Amino acid sequence: MEKILRKRMFRDLKENKFRYLALGLLIILGMYIVIGLVGAADTVIVQTAETAKANRVEDGQFGMFAPLTEKTKSMLEEEGITLEEHFYLDYALPDKSILPETGGLPEGAGSADGTDTAEPTDSTDNAILRVFSRREKIDLVQVDSGRLPNVGGEILLERRFCEEHGITVGDRIAVGNRKFTVTGIGTSPDYESPLRSFSDSAVDSARFGIGFVTEEDYEQLREGDGGISAEEYTYAYLLNGRMSDKQLKEKLKELEIPADDITKFPDGNVTAAVSKLTRFVPADDNPRIGSAGNDKLVDKAAGLVAGVIVLILFAYVISVFTVHSIERESGVIGTLYAMGVKRKELLRHYLLLPVLLTFLAGGIGTGLGYSSFGVNIYLDDPYGYFSIPKVDVLYEPYLLLYGLFMPPLAAALTNYFVIRKKLNRPPLALIRVEQKKDRVTTIRLTGGFVRVFQTRQLLRERRTAVTVFWGMFISLLIVMLSLDCYVLCSHVKTENARDTRFAWMYTYKYPEEEVPEGGEEAYGVTMKKEVLGYRFDVTLLGIREGNPYFDAPVEKGEDRVLISSAMAQKYGIGEGDILTLLDEEKERYYAFRVDGIATCSAGFFAFMDIDSMRELMGESADHYNIVFSNHALDIDNGRLYAALSKEEVEKRAAVFVEQMRGMVTMLLVVSALIFVVVMYLMMKVMIDRSAKSVSLFKIFGYRKNEIRRLYLNGNFFVMAVSAFAGIPMAKAVMDLLFPYMVSNVACGINLSFSWQMYGGIFSGVLVLYGIINGLLMCRVNRILPTQVLKIRE
Amino acid sequence: MYLEVKGLKKSYGEGGSYVEVLKGVDLAVEKSEMCVIQGASGSGKSTLLHCIGGLDKTDYGSISADGLEICGLSSEELSDYRRANLGFIFQFYNLVPNLTVKENIQVCGYLTDRPLDLEELLDTLGLAGHQDKFPQQLSGGQQQRCAIARALIKNPKLLLCDEPTGALDSHTSRDILELLERVNRKYGTTMLIVTHNNSIRQMVDQVVCLKDGQVRKNYRNEEKVPAAQLEDL
Repeated sequence: MEKILRKRMFRDLKENKFRYLALGLLIILGMYIVIGLVGAADTVIVQTAETAKANRVEDGQFGMFAPLTEKTKSMLEEEGITLEEHFYLDYALPDKSILPETGGLPEGAGSADGTDTAEPTDSTDNAILRVFSRREKIDLVQVDSGRLPNVGGEILLERRFCEEHGITVGDRIAVGNRKFTVTGIGTSPDYESPLRSFSDSAVDSARFGIGFVTEEDYEQLREGDGGISAEEYTYAYLLNGRMSDKQLKEKLKELEIPADDITKFPDGNVTAAVSKLTRFVPADDNPRIGSAGNDKLVDKAAGLVAGVIVLILFAYVISVFTVHSIERESGVIGTLYAMGVKRKELLRHYLLLPVLLTFLAGGIGTGLGYSSFGVNIYLDDPYGYFSIPKVDVLYEPYLLLYGLFMPPLAAALTNYFVIRKKLNRPPLALIRVEQKKDRVTTIRLTGGFVRVFQTRQLLRERRTAVTVFWGMFISLLIVMLSLDCYVLCSHVKTENARDTRFAWMYTYKYPEEEVPEGGEEAYGVTMKKEVLGYRFDVTLLGIREGNPYFDAPVEKGEDRVLISSAMAQKYGIGEGDILTLLDEEKERYYAFRVDGIATCSAGFFAFMDIDSMRELMGESADHYNIVFSNHALDIDNGRLYAALSKEEVEKRAAVFVEQMRGMVTMLLVVSALIFVVVMYLMMKVMIDRSAKSVSLFKIFGYRKNEIRRLYLNGNFFVMAVSAFAGIPMAKAVMDLLFPYMVSNVACGINLSFSWQMYGGIFSGVLVLYGIINGLLMCRVNRILPTQVLKIRE
Repeated sequence: MYLEVKGLKKSYGEGGSYVEVLKGVDLAVEKSEMCVIQGASGSGKSTLLHCIGGLDKTDYGSISADGLEICGLSSEELSDYRRANLGFIFQFYNLVPNLTVKENIQVCGYLTDRPLDLEELLDTLGLAGHQDKFPQQLSGGQQQRCAIARALIKNPKLLLCDEPTGALDSHTSRDILELLERVNRKYGTTMLIVTHNNSIRQMVDQVVCLKDGQVRKNYRNEEKVPAAQLEDL
């Protein structure tokens, strides 16, 4: 019997080919996006981790005020620790430093042996190149093209930096006082996210990159001028299973380095603090390491969950068609029951089409997702942001199973419950095409005929109206996802520009005794605080009352802070709350009472009175390590950790908007497509159900416009109410979920929309409804007056 | 005795809308005989047919078909009972619109291990030339023939017909009745026919007249009139 009924199914498929085709295409699109997205995520998560492991990614790194002595290094190595100096120097590269003509040199430049000189630059307004010596033991460079530097005058540059600046192997580049030939392009596992500083919220490879030179060249660079900050004494380590991070940290903290053991020291006037560990960052806490994989974990979870939600919507839409078909064939079903056909047999039959359709569409979508048009395209995004090597696409079996079986499973489950309920009626009720007793449709209504008719039509179709609402809600969720991405980036861009009042921020490694003239001193300590599974840097910033660069009226008190608005948004902390921060160096927690929120979106700050902070930290009454100013100050670069300009802050913040533009557009198009197709199909079901009475009204002499008013205009009400309720609902739901999706991003989460945006979304819904209405009217026009006469049964 | 109904009661609704449709119906039909149930609208004839067919639950009484007591069976058991014993023909043909004549018949052929020969059945019912047509390409009479063929394909022991000619003109009605007569003779199918049409009672073995939910007349025809000779159809 089922074999025969299968023919019915294929004919149903043929008769409604456009309906099923539209749904099938949506499922294909949905699965293509999900498989592509999740496949790319898996590829990045697994392959980058394996490549990093192969390249001996560090277990962690630590910074010292001064280099470790040979004796200390030997002592650590004897305990089984592998250590490697990852010292670096930062250089500003004005545009003229990058000389893309292969082998060529600008006028006046020297030879290619690396001994030629270039004009040093003091500008930090341009790209920054961080130069390391070539590595041998830890965080080995994966060469994408060319080779590692072997002799003087050669440099290997990080891939993303090269892409942003159009640098290829063989090009020449000026760094500090030197010129180098680019011999290779590659990536390093400790700079997967090429962030200049740990606290940077976004990668901007146009403005920051890393390079590797020979040990001899590095020595020469160190001895030369042109760097924009002092050399950083960073050591990478591998524990080799011999001790834990904590044990190593304890050992480093216990180190007492006699002054005469210090082999390298840039500034003789610093004596007391030289033996101190400046930072200790295990790989797990390093935002540069494994960040591509972490980022993709969110994509993966979001993709898989979104896939299920969208599939359930599509499956439900199919179930509405099936239910419509069951209602139409009610008499037939009742007769078959009367003949002894069993419910489960018919249930199996009616489940077959949705299951088969979703299986086929899911299979095609999965195939496309896995094809070169799928995963590879989605890999462009991480390749375009993270500094990861090009890896082979990973085909995870679970994803194949998900793509092939999740669509039919979602369809089977959704349809099972809906169809079973429909088929569960007694045979007689089905044969007689009895309508279930429905008090709602028989309620007494008052008013004009048109209004009453529209209301009754709406009440009759209320279940479809509910589907229309949920379909719209799902589409709106995707709209909100894309718009939340957009507004988050947009807010970061505009608010960072607005809230950064300083022209320059100088972070000292070795502060001068006197605050430079024109500078506003501050005292900053980097602490840690976790939110949603990620630990971010929070700067406890001691400022003077009346500091002109922050709108933070701090008051005296060792436990009183004001927090930046970015921090309040990210951590969900408000006035009166207790804020706990971890000072990793001291391994000590500090608890503060939050006095209020200061408008500052440019980072996670806890502001406190500078004198109170000095007391709290046991520093002298004039201690400072940060200077803000409204103009560039004349400070020796050797004293600085970093110099940050307002322009650079603005440019970094603007990176988000550029990065998200493609995804935002894609999500908006996909949501609009889902919206139009689902809405059209649902409303067409309403019209099909009313075909008989539409036909009758045509016989009565009703004109097109009158029929439109009776049968379609009521839908406007459904759409308008659904949009009115659905937009804020979808926004609220997405605002709850969104922070989890960007849990790895270090920025404030301001997702507020302007009323114009709400108005725009509402208008967009109505415009799309206008298109749908036009299509539906075509369908109504095709209903012939004689149709009702042809319906025998 | 193939079918035996005793003291059957059936009511619908409650309170003000309570209606007792069957008020203790007794009925017996011999195997391979044709029986007509007649009565005015609301007399309970269709309800009686539906109760016998296991489509409706009874309130009281018993129905025994081929020795099987069907009152009190679960819906699954009733489904098995219908599958094994019954064929149904309704006033409205209830054919699957997107299956051909042949396929509509085959749908029920698969319900039994020993279906009748499809080609022979198509011939018997005069559908041989229409087997690949869809229901909407057939006349009302042809659709009803198809519905009959669908009911017969599994060779049911009892054929329940609810106004089988109700939607047909007199000429087509005669054709259908001749067909039922032929089927009864050829396959020995016991038939219970609910109809308004008084002429039909002349062609059957037994006539049962219902009024207000009770059997008012129950008699056997001494001489049957062949369907072909029936007047005023």
